[in-house]
Amino acid sequence: MIYAGIDAGSRSIKAVLFDTGSSQILASGLADQGVEQERLATELFKKLLKEAGLERSQVSGMVATGYGRNAIRFADTTITEITCHARGVHRLAPDARTVIEIGGQDSKVISLEDGGRVRDFAMNDRCAAGTGRFLEMVATRLDMNWEKLSELASQSTKPAIISNMCVVFAETEIIGLLASGKPLPDVVAGVQNSIATRVSALAGRFVLPPIYFTGGVALQTGMARALEEVLACPVRVSPQPQFTGALGAAVLASERGKGKP
Amino acid sequence: MNAAPRKLNLDEWDEHYEQLCHDGLREPCYGGSLRRHVVREKDFRLQQLQFDNSPAALRLWNFLLTENARLHQARANGDKIVGTMKDLGTVPVMAFSLPGVRAFYPDGAWWTPCLMECSDKLLQQAEAMGVDASFCPVRAMLPAFENGEHFPKPDLLICSTGAVCDDFSAIAQRLEHLGHSIFWWEMPRRRQPAASENFCSLPGNLIAPKIQVDCVRTELQRVGQALGELAGKTLDDDCLAAGIRTANQVRRLLAALREIVYSAPAAPLPALEMLVAEMLAIHFCSDREETITVLGGLLAEVQARVRQNQFIISTDAVRVFWVNPVADLRAMNLLEELGGRICGSDYMFTHALDLIPENLPPLEALARTALADPMVGPTADRAARIVRECLAGHAEAVVVSRIPGASHCAREGEIIREIVRQQIGIPVIELEIPPVCDAMLPNLGSRLQALFETARARRIK
Repeated sequence: MIYAGIDAGSRSIKAVLFDTGSSQILASGLADQGVEQERLATELFKKLLKEAGLERSQVSGMVATGYGRNAIRFADTTITEITCHARGVHRLAPDARTVIEIGGQDSKVISLEDGGRVRDFAMNDRCAAGTGRFLEMVATRLDMNWEKLSELASQSTKPAIISNMCVVFAETEIIGLLASGKPLPDVVAGVQNSIATRVSALAGRFVLPPIYFTGGVALQTGMARALEEVLACPVRVSPQPQFTGALGAAVLASERGKGKP
Repeated sequence: MNAAPRKLNLDEWDEHYEQLCHDGLREPCYGGSLRRHVVREKDFRLQQLQFDNSPAALRLWNFLLTENARLHQARANGDKIVGTMKDLGTVPVMAFSLPGVRAFYPDGAWWTPCLMECSDKLLQQAEAMGVDASFCPVRAMLPAFENGEHFPKPDLLICSTGAVCDDFSAIAQRLEHLGHSIFWWEMPRRRQPAASENFCSLPGNLIAPKIQVDCVRTELQRVGQALGELAGKTLDDDCLAAGIRTANQVRRLLAALREIVYSAPAAPLPALEMLVAEMLAIHFCSDREETITVLGGLLAEVQARVRQNQFIISTDAVRVFWVNPVADLRAMNLLEELGGRICGSDYMFTHALDLIPENLPPLEALARTALADPMVGPTADRAARIVRECLAGHAEAVVVSRIPGASHCAREGEIIREIVRQQIGIPVIELEIPPVCDAMLPNLGSRLQALFETARARRIK
């Protein structure tokens, strides 16, 4: 049977079609977030159906998650991104005990029990300094795209120290560092370290290995390394990190279809 | 019991009130529709809240929202008015033991900006007075003291200092610099007795060195003298013992209310009304006898509902233990809208809920009670009580709410979270709830929803 998961995040909408028979993702896709969330999600969903050669009627259930989940009215139900990311990562990496998700506007640390059940979680959605928004600000300031930023970070030899705890003030600090001749790769790596430090504070002392890193920011080269350094523990990047929320939503839709609450 | 229990918004309460009046509702002198507090007092926040539909709840709200008027009337009647700050429950017991003396709690002004949706401008005015948003919203009391638009200027202002909130101490000192004379009394930080040290048992399963109890008793003796001078009557042991017995009446009523509401198979009274009711333990809302009547009415309503198996929240709701009071009362509604119910609480004044020992000399009993204040001891002590009450209330999750700028202990939430996790393994979240949380409702809702999903998933073994 086919189930769909839609993750309406703050920066982008992700969707997944999941086949319970083969335990495979049939299609996945991503679109930029916008004001008309439901229309954007509908278009993305239709595109995936077309790619997979399916009709809407063949989809047995659908769960929406993410910041904008309540706007996705064509979904059967909504489930929070905490539960969905946990389930998505567990599906791809059953040994995961901690999930770190850094998204565009928030970050989460989720502690898992055996079987992938959420044991506890912590979430930051009040301070941009621990989220992908910080990297976006730097990319905008340096007039470069996300991939280039990632590439630069990997060239760093001595990451800069970003002292400010606030993204707005950190921007001024970054301008100052660049003006003083600090190499660009070191500044970008410094920003990554700063985000990692904020996330580690959120994690507190309940981080148990194996740790899996997910969310769009996990695609940034160097972020996992920055997290490893502050957590003093190996951090693995989850397979398909930008889709774990949507996958978890689809898996949960399938469990609902089997009568699980 | 009256109509079947349900929650009503303000518009629905207007209609319901008309019907109740038509059916012969009997109200005290401060009675009336809830709407009038919006119209006359600009308590705009009431328009966003959901209330219990019982006349007993209406009386509770009217009692709470007419406190300033009651204080002004008391002043006009020649009563002495005492502002008691920070101790959260001890000095009011002493003040109300004297005839013609009423205590109130100026710290309570921190709720005013929320109730008035900041239309009172108290927070902005406090900022202009040098106390900005990095301080606890209690700073709202500074301009309230100055402009006299809320409570009357007290005849005596008493404040504990020492092992109390540092924010509050700073704000109270600023108040004194503004010309409002304060009678200070010292509260030591409660500690574990050394092995060779004499110690006393305190309410709440706590102990403290005898020397600390002696210190607090001596301080309270000074407070008693000051109150006696104000009243023109000595606050002797007989007076105080009678005051303690009446305060314990309030505490027994609250204990009964908490027991029945938190242990019932589903909630017979909303979390919001329970929070307001529990707050009465601190200061009696400036009228101790009426507090007993109000709580008695609520208890009777709840007992009737439980007997009839009539509840306001479904039996499936996630059982949540709530730590700390919220700045925006809307948060308590939100908890229930998303499928939670309260099964226990620690609103930071658990010592005001415990019975004051009646088998000890009165000042000794009050000293021991004051020293049991969760804010004057280690957070680990507080966490131990939370764990005990979580187990007793079969809590499935814990919410530690915080107020921006207020940090009675900077690491309080983390310590509670760690201890609860370690000892009972249920999920704990921290929420920061500002005085008006409208813009944050989606975020707060997401966190609560995630907490409930986690708790529900744990039901399936």
